[in-house]
Amino acid sequence: MLSRPTRTTLAHTLRTLALFAAFSAGAAHADATLDRIHQRHKIVIGVILSGPPFGSLDPATQKPVGFNVDLANDVAKRLGVDVELTAVQPSNRVQFLQQGKVDALIANMEVTKERAEILSYPPTPFEEIGGALITRKDSGIKTWNDVRGKPVCVSQGSNYTKPLAEQYGAQVKAFRGQPESLLALRGNNCVAAVHVAPTLRLLVARNPDWKDYTIPVSNDLIPSPAVIWVRKGETDTQAALEKIVQDWHRSGWLIGTERRNSMQPSQAVLDLHAKYKAPGA
Amino acid sequence: MSAPAQALVDAIGKTGLNYSFVLAPDELASFLHGMLVTLELSLVTALGSLAAGVVLAAMLTSPRAALARPARVFVEVTRNTPTLVQLFCAFLVVNMLISEALRNLGGNPLTPFIWSAIVISLHKAAFHAEALRAGIEAVPRATLEAAQSLGYSRRQRLWEVQLPLALRFALPTLVNNMVDLVKMTTVASAIAVGDITYASIMIWTQRDNVLELMILILLFFGALTFAVNRAGQWLEIRLRMPGYGH
Repeated sequence: MLSRPTRTTLAHTLRTLALFAAFSAGAAHADATLDRIHQRHKIVIGVILSGPPFGSLDPATQKPVGFNVDLANDVAKRLGVDVELTAVQPSNRVQFLQQGKVDALIANMEVTKERAEILSYPPTPFEEIGGALITRKDSGIKTWNDVRGKPVCVSQGSNYTKPLAEQYGAQVKAFRGQPESLLALRGNNCVAAVHVAPTLRLLVARNPDWKDYTIPVSNDLIPSPAVIWVRKGETDTQAALEKIVQDWHRSGWLIGTERRNSMQPSQAVLDLHAKYKAPGA
Repeated sequence: MSAPAQALVDAIGKTGLNYSFVLAPDELASFLHGMLVTLELSLVTALGSLAAGVVLAAMLTSPRAALARPARVFVEVTRNTPTLVQLFCAFLVVNMLISEALRNLGGNPLTPFIWSAIVISLHKAAFHAEALRAGIEAVPRATLEAAQSLGYSRRQRLWEVQLPLALRFALPTLVNNMVDLVKMTTVASAIAVGDITYASIMIWTQRDNVLELMILILLFFGALTFAVNRAGQWLEIRLRMPGYGH
């Protein structure tokens, strides 16, 4: 038991602490992230390294390479700070951002209504990315409707889960990440796998292991703007990144970077390039 | 969904926890199904690991090197590598090879559930085997000699003398292993077995209610392992033999 004076002091201390916490939270409200990035001269960016062209580890140097990595490096360069890359998974990337383990996400994460409610992003997308379906050449799947009632592999946290299940009636099986999902497809645990289109296109075009597989449907599943994500309400960081993304479009750097990573710039990117390049834009 | 459920969700919502997923019939059904799958997987692996554990323990204590050696190698390899790695290795590598081999024979019948059951059972069997071995080796030599003088064969001695005594001796460790086994079933979510963890991941990646679902998962496993513990205690009391170990 505490004696009465001690208890009063304790209560007082607690109240003071609570008040202090409330104030510092208020002070920190004016976007601490951009300040912190400049203060420690470093930005931490979460990237997905699930395979080319977006991100993978270079087998020779063990360094991350790919489109996401190029974008992250350039963000840091244009902010005039160093970059620290953190590999994230589709299933944990939102938590990494929300808990402050990363300052921004360049992680194959397209805009959805649910995501926009809990996070912020610079409004100009850097790509428009949809899902493609990969399947064995002899599977008989020719359209998105052919997956009805059949097992389809995705990664946990994928935004293709919902449309596949609800719109096309597929029996969705979500694996920890894209490599596991693709191996499960090869192990015949699903008839098809659905992942970001550029990755699968590159796989089928370049990798002899996948010569028996094809992307039979030409239209992508829910093509959506891919953006850089930041924590909700961090308007300064958001504005700084927006400027960078617009610059990417204006200078044509983005198109060049995509081609360097064996990606085909989408019509949306070509349109944005034309829009920002135009005088007076 | 019924009004009382809505009222309850609203009441909990005031504390800052958003449990509105239980009002969506699909998500509620997948969560409940996840609980069922975890129970099924726990039950199957508990029985499977015990059966395999007894076999391994018998092999380990066998005087024949042809039996004891492979069992020892298996136990060491299994105990010393992570379950998740074993699961990925089995499901992503071995399963793929089996699928390739069986492609023209009507396909591979092994599902992720079966692979998880096999891997978890064998992994825990190695631990059970060591616990049972300790029990078998603790049976006094005099008891064995008595059995031998009564004309018991080696197999009879194992089944009717050593194992019943070993079981009693090893029971606390076995119960410990079982608690661990129940928790280990969550690794199955990595290969899309629809257990409670998988169901939760699928819900929280759409709704971002990680905290709420984590609380439910913790409560669920807490209750489940508590039940395993109580069952173990009951068995210990029930199997207690006066004059042996107590």
